[in-house]
Amino acid sequence: MNDWLSALFALFIFPGFGFLFVCALACQWIDRRVAARLQGRIGPPWFQPLADFVKLMAKEDILPVGAHEWACAALPLVSLAAVLTAALYIPPSFPPIGGDERGGWATSAFEGDLIVVLFLFSIPALAYFLAGWLSVSVFSVVGGNRSLLQYFAYEVPFLMALCGPAILSGSWSISRIAAQQSQTVWMVLVQPLGFLLAIIGLIGKLKRSPFDIPKAKSEIGAGPLTEFSGRKLALWYLTLHMQMVVGIFLLVNLFLGGCGNWSPGPAALIFGVKALLILLVLSVASVLYARLRIDQLANLGWRVLAPLALLQMLVIIWIGVG
Amino acid sequence: MTTRPSDYLTKRLTDQMTRITIPIGPQHPALKEPLSFLLTVEGERIVESVLRLGYVHRGIERICQNRNYVQNVHVVERVCGICSHIHTTVYCQGVEALLGLQVPPRALYLRTLLCELERIHSHMLWLGVLAENVGFTTIFMYAWRDREIVLDIMEELSGGRVAHAVNVIGGVRVDVDEPQVDSILMRLDELEQRIETLLGVIQHERTFQVRTRGVGHLSAEQVRRYCVVGPTARASGVDVDMRRDAPYAAYDRLDFRVITAEEGDVWARTMVRVPETIESLHMCQQLLTGLPDGPTTVRARRRVPPGEVVSRAEAPRGELIYYIRSDGSDRPARVKIRTPTLPALSTLPDQLRGVHTADVPAVLAGVDLCIACADR
Repeated sequence: MNDWLSALFALFIFPGFGFLFVCALACQWIDRRVAARLQGRIGPPWFQPLADFVKLMAKEDILPVGAHEWACAALPLVSLAAVLTAALYIPPSFPPIGGDERGGWATSAFEGDLIVVLFLFSIPALAYFLAGWLSVSVFSVVGGNRSLLQYFAYEVPFLMALCGPAILSGSWSISRIAAQQSQTVWMVLVQPLGFLLAIIGLIGKLKRSPFDIPKAKSEIGAGPLTEFSGRKLALWYLTLHMQMVVGIFLLVNLFLGGCGNWSPGPAALIFGVKALLILLVLSVASVLYARLRIDQLANLGWRVLAPLALLQMLVIIWIGVG
Repeated sequence: MTTRPSDYLTKRLTDQMTRITIPIGPQHPALKEPLSFLLTVEGERIVESVLRLGYVHRGIERICQNRNYVQNVHVVERVCGICSHIHTTVYCQGVEALLGLQVPPRALYLRTLLCELERIHSHMLWLGVLAENVGFTTIFMYAWRDREIVLDIMEELSGGRVAHAVNVIGGVRVDVDEPQVDSILMRLDELEQRIETLLGVIQHERTFQVRTRGVGHLSAEQVRRYCVVGPTARASGVDVDMRRDAPYAAYDRLDFRVITAEEGDVWARTMVRVPETIESLHMCQQLLTGLPDGPTTVRARRRVPPGEVVSRAEAPRGELIYYIRSDGSDRPARVKIRTPTLPALSTLPDQLRGVHTADVPAVLAGVDLCIACADR
């Protein structure tokens, strides 16, 4: 009975849906607010993300004639599920409580969960493409194509950058990589290049400015989501924002040492500060640049980022061997 | 020669698969005014574009024939929501020429001042639109925030932010006093600093340059063939500027540079328009410091002697031409307006050919379209 309760608690409250939902709204608000201040605007009040979500949930849900109805309904759910599942393996890694040396609150941590998380992380990208492809509008088809091209551009450097900490610490478990850093040094100090590449990859994955190519509003409306409305759109937005939270958590664990050897209270605080730092980097990056074109991004991905990632990996292997 | 049905079918299928048609407009986030494009796209490259116009045609030229000369000042002011003052300037200039009026110098200076303030506000608006279209929201926000300074000055001078109703036949209806001149000069100094900051950001930001360089190219030859005017022509190395070539109002008494560039792409247009904004600021300073004394209007008769006149001036987007014919009554027999956007529109199919779909907003913004002007 107790196991049941704790499993339900983990799934729906912490670190599951409820926690991520709050984090997603908070991150969205901070991001919008910071970007607004940097652009000389005021930005929305704190409840705006929640209000947007509620409003969209309540709005009429329409799809154009010819759109694949059940697929369009299933895709946001599938990608939301993928993100939520990934979140179960990415601990807001509290230090082991009650002798659980596998990584505390991460409910289902195991050796190799990094691979699973990276796989789960690609599902929203594919679902996003399919959403564009199946919802008949030209804008969404073009946006879908672009999102797939973008996926090929950022995914390889992103994966290689994330493999760095795993290779160096000799473990494929996110919580173990995080825990190990508190004994040695933060990965960001050993492989700053990898961290930078991971941030750039994350911006591409989250389709944030300057890589908001698939949903460039002055070019193709809302991209793949052009024809979505009401609940489906609300779920899509929620998915994308949760993906941002989970992505940030992942980077904190892999590169910034999770929350180190602290007791739960300070640990939560420290983890939050680190996550906030990455969020600020993302926000600042989103106001600093003009949007790239898809071919320019592909060039950047393969001619600059991928070789750099390779270089970083070679350095890591050399360090690891030496 | 016979074609096998299977070949035909394959061709049809591949044609359908590789070519899609993307509608841009009449409602589209990249367009601030209604205009419609049907783009035929292969992959991400545009092979053909079909333009449709006329969504905001209001029949202003015809309306002008039903109103008297004084009322028409307010009618032509509504041709455009951005460059409203230049329309009344050109119209009043034409009617004054028909009447043989000598407009007092103070009125000419104030007219010119408003013209230049309007150019600053139009160019900054344009910079914001371009920046937003290439996905550089920050510049958009900054440019439009700083543009408020000019709008405030214009509101203070005339009571209106974009529709000023400053010109009357025979002069202007507003005047400035000494403290006002000082306060405007001070704010113009601040604006100059801000524009220079913006210019610095644009010149040093590579992402902005890779999105605008080589996009929407027009050669000097194309510019001449399509009769393109204004900053778009100057960015292709065609040195035309009515303010210098055919001085009107107080321009013959001003010292200014006409800015040109050679590349002929959106980047060159930016590098013409933004420095031109600073040049306009300097002209405003000259106008305000050298403002002559005297009356601001002369009396004009209501009936205009028979005759015809062509009046022209440099609008923010280029040469604006009014043709006015009078039959001796208090109403014009014909008013014909030729706006600078019209030739710019006809270059768009050329500019869009072979362009990446992602660059369409940049191309559209680059020529600084004013659809309301073109449709009238």
